[in-house]
Amino acid sequence: MADAKPKIVGFCCEKHGTESVDLAIRSGEQYDASVRLVTVPCTGRVDGLHILKALEDGADAVFVLGCLEKNCYYDTGSIEGRKRVEYVRTMLSEVGIEPERVEMFNASSTMVWKFPEIASTMSQTARRLGPIEPRGDTK
Amino acid sequence: MKVLVIGGGPAGLTAAGTLASNGLEVALVERDYTLGGMAKELTCKGITECRDCGVCFAIDRAAEAVRTPGIEVFLSSEITSLEKTNEGFKAKIRSSARFVTHNCIGCNNCVEVCPVEGKAIFAPSGSGQPRTYWIDRKRCLHFKKSKCEECAKACPTKAIDFSDRAKNVTRTVSKVVLATGIEPFDAQELPRLACGTTSDVISSVDAERIINEEGRLKRPSDGVVPKTVAMIQCVGSRNEKTGIGYCSKFCCKYGTKIAQLIMEGSPEMDLDFYFMDLRTLYEPQEDFKKWAVAMKRKVEKKKVPRVRLIRCMPSLAYPGEDGKIWLRSSGETDAEVMETPYDMVILSVGMRPRGVPEDIASRLGLAFDDNGFARCQDEEGDPVVIVLGAMSEPMDIEETVTRAMAAAATPRKEAGE
Amino acid sequence: MNRGTQVVICRVCSEGAGLLDVDKLARVASDAPGVCSTVVVERACNKKTVLEIVDDAMAKEADRLLVAPCSKKEISPALFQTYAKKAKMNEFLMEAVDIIGEVTLPHRDDPTRVQPKAEAKLRSAIVRINMLEPLQRTEERMRTSNVVVIGAGAAGIEAASVASAFGLHTVIIEKSEKKIDAPGVVMPKSRLISAKGHAGNYILTIEVGEKRETLECAAIVVASGGDWREAKGPIVDELQVAKPLHHLEQEIGEGRLPGGAIIILDTPDPKGIRTPAQDFMWEEALHCATHIRRKSPTTEVYLVFQEMRAMGLAEFDYKEASELGVKFIRYDSKKPPKVDTKNGTRLIVTDMAQEETLSLAFDTLYYASVAPNPDNAAIAVALRIPISSSGGIRRGSIQRGPVATPRPGIFVCGTAKFPKSREVARLEGKAAGLMAAQFAAAGKWEFGGSVAEVTSDKCSACLTCVRTCPYEAPFIGIAGKAEIAIQMCQGCGICAGICPSKAIELHNYTDDQLSAETAAYLGGDF
Repeated sequence: MADAKPKIVGFCCEKHGTESVDLAIRSGEQYDASVRLVTVPCTGRVDGLHILKALEDGADAVFVLGCLEKNCYYDTGSIEGRKRVEYVRTMLSEVGIEPERVEMFNASSTMVWKFPEIASTMSQTARRLGPIEPRGDTK
Repeated sequence: MKVLVIGGGPAGLTAAGTLASNGLEVALVERDYTLGGMAKELTCKGITECRDCGVCFAIDRAAEAVRTPGIEVFLSSEITSLEKTNEGFKAKIRSSARFVTHNCIGCNNCVEVCPVEGKAIFAPSGSGQPRTYWIDRKRCLHFKKSKCEECAKACPTKAIDFSDRAKNVTRTVSKVVLATGIEPFDAQELPRLACGTTSDVISSVDAERIINEEGRLKRPSDGVVPKTVAMIQCVGSRNEKTGIGYCSKFCCKYGTKIAQLIMEGSPEMDLDFYFMDLRTLYEPQEDFKKWAVAMKRKVEKKKVPRVRLIRCMPSLAYPGEDGKIWLRSSGETDAEVMETPYDMVILSVGMRPRGVPEDIASRLGLAFDDNGFARCQDEEGDPVVIVLGAMSEPMDIEETVTRAMAAAATPRKEAGE
Repeated sequence: MNRGTQVVICRVCSEGAGLLDVDKLARVASDAPGVCSTVVVERACNKKTVLEIVDDAMAKEADRLLVAPCSKKEISPALFQTYAKKAKMNEFLMEAVDIIGEVTLPHRDDPTRVQPKAEAKLRSAIVRINMLEPLQRTEERMRTSNVVVIGAGAAGIEAASVASAFGLHTVIIEKSEKKIDAPGVVMPKSRLISAKGHAGNYILTIEVGEKRETLECAAIVVASGGDWREAKGPIVDELQVAKPLHHLEQEIGEGRLPGGAIIILDTPDPKGIRTPAQDFMWEEALHCATHIRRKSPTTEVYLVFQEMRAMGLAEFDYKEASELGVKFIRYDSKKPPKVDTKNGTRLIVTDMAQEETLSLAFDTLYYASVAPNPDNAAIAVALRIPISSSGGIRRGSIQRGPVATPRPGIFVCGTAKFPKSREVARLEGKAAGLMAAQFAAAGKWEFGGSVAEVTSDKCSACLTCVRTCPYEAPFIGIAGKAEIAIQMCQGCGICAGICPSKAIELHNYTDDQLSAETAAYLGGDF
């Protein structure tokens, strides 16, 4: 079921995460307006809770974008962020929600192409999967 | 007193940033329309994990330089004259008109509406910072009879300024840092490797450009991701005929990282890595070999290698009738000759130091060796002229940055403040 | 000052693209809860305008500011400085919402969604700023202006020289008894045992001979180098006449030439199990080989290696050596060279270029590798910095520069990172000395503001934060619960993200703040 206006949330770190977004848009790149970006100091700050709450608050897909591993401004932050994303994906599979709704990406401040590709991937996933089907026993 | 930094690549940017952090004022003069030097043409070599190529360091310093109050950045500029004075030097800086102001936000509207074939207004090259566009006066219709103003109409921040003119300023400085960098070797100088005559044989610099724009290695001929790739190292370098008898030092490091990047990004790709000696700079030589051995694909029940390390400089590259590019190579003992087809061939090119105009070179007291590498003749005590970066000898980005920091490591009071 | 947000919207930048209705945006702001004033100006980055809007903020008793539509770094710092000074506004309560960068620029192809998305973005930014707390940065004086350098090798001495030139007091800790010519204090026969404290105020325990001493410092440079003696392998095990290359350099330096045929082997461990082959000795090896052939053209000199790593201009040294008759033999690690002592002293090596096995008679064998300093592991543990896979000290993210470790105030240079030529090691030493000097010369360590904080009642003392923080900020306090040493907190929030009991929050990036901002943004229908 395709959703004409999906809701996607992206948690971007304020270092290479937002810098790669900035570079892309300052090269004329466009991306799906459905993507809502939230800045965090480091993707290590992202808790599984934030991702799950975003899904609960209406997001069809959530991504986390941080610096490349071993190049994280805060050393191990993006590695921690990835662990959190993996944990959430496991949880989602266990409750029957498609894990590909949640994804971790890494970028550097020189990648013009990366952010538009991320936005496009998540947008396509959100449209393909549609909103999360509420389970019968929840409201 | 100010310091003049000529060149806005990794060396110049690091020097400028370090000098500014020590409280010195800097005038940074860059020839191109944006900062970053060679590094802005190169791509990040990581997908999830950083591969330590150093490119983002240069780009981050470029972004910082335009925001550092102590650094006066001159883009599209050159030194037109340099006079020695009692306090140091008097430099005349000429900045060509670019017809776009710093209100530019890089939205690319102007490029989209420009009616000229091949465009007359351009984005900053590669991932250079700042992201301010520029107009090539020779191509622009506004300066011919038509007075075209399409770009100005499309610009959301009114950043187009057709009244822009070249500017000339003078700066008095106590020190000059020269860091004009390198030019990649033009692989077309080696016609036997078919670069320039066959579209899918490209230099490593072009390969990096493609990857940085497209996110994948794609064939120039049809935009398809190649399945079989050959990388040839030492193209141009270690070669008496080209005049580059030295080893360019960074090509094995960057070449192996490009190889890892394209192979990990495209699981269907196979790679033959042709090399003479594996010179992965400041990194263990075994790491790449171990990686190559580990890259395998499951074919039926067997594991088939995807990467071959071939110790040979291919003698010939030629297009085959099957549309592939064939490389003629020999085994290590030269006993047998092989012909192998590929979808795409990447030539890891070396570099030559960029020349320095003679009058500037003599004012600065530069000496050049047979290869064109520059050194300052007077290196005693606290030098007034410092030569940095790969224009002085082959080096990669990380070593360039280290040397620039070391050279700028003088506190304010010693610098004749 | 009451709790109220002043929203400032710049018309010129907002309307440029022709996609935003500024007045409608202003109405969204003034209707939002917590907004005490909405001002639309032509350009906020204008001295006169700044004075006008700050007066408005003071009149409306706003304690926080939100500027639209660009990002914070594009706004002239003078604006924030004026608000801080005149309106006494807390620096952490001044934000910008980048509508241009996040909405206008990237969605020009989808113009109908620009206005509603801009409104949703503005609403979520207002929700966020309303929830922020005023925070204070503070500073701690550095008790000393000492820079401690570990290792008196090529890199260490340069680091000390640069730091000294910046007016700092340098202390070099060197484990050997060799004579050292360097500025400041030099402590021979000394080793680092442990380190406490944080950037600007480190407290080191040093073992000097038999005694232990305490040394305080502001910054540390690790220049522990490599160790010849640690380059071990089967070749060295079997041969008495195997020596490290620097012995040959010394002999030549003293005007002596080794007698008989010489082999320079890239590593004593050709299979690379204990000592992987390194590259930096190539220049020195070629110089020695060339020198010997010039002085004694009949002496056989063999260079035996896996990879011929004469890089950069050293390629010419390779050429020269080759022309002088130095013999270069490349072997493959799968067929490593072996020592044969039955027929005199011979090295059996398969030359890959000819695929022939050679039996080389020689008198002395020199190996050109340097193993990592075995003390690196202990130094890394003491300073809590990472070790690299090749046994050296790993530098941190390249974002922080080539000589920085992940811990503030601690830098690394030279062969301690990875073997390299003495020239480059010296330059790295200078760079590290510079960074340590700039750090220590500040005289104070600034911290605080957006840092983490533990709510003890929720803490289960699981130690997860202690183990995960890259900066050692969390510790278990006397109450048996985790606490954050804010002097060490870098504000990344990794601890807050990982705490299983949700006992840690990062100020101004709390769970509630992030979730509220996200929910408000998701609430927008566009």
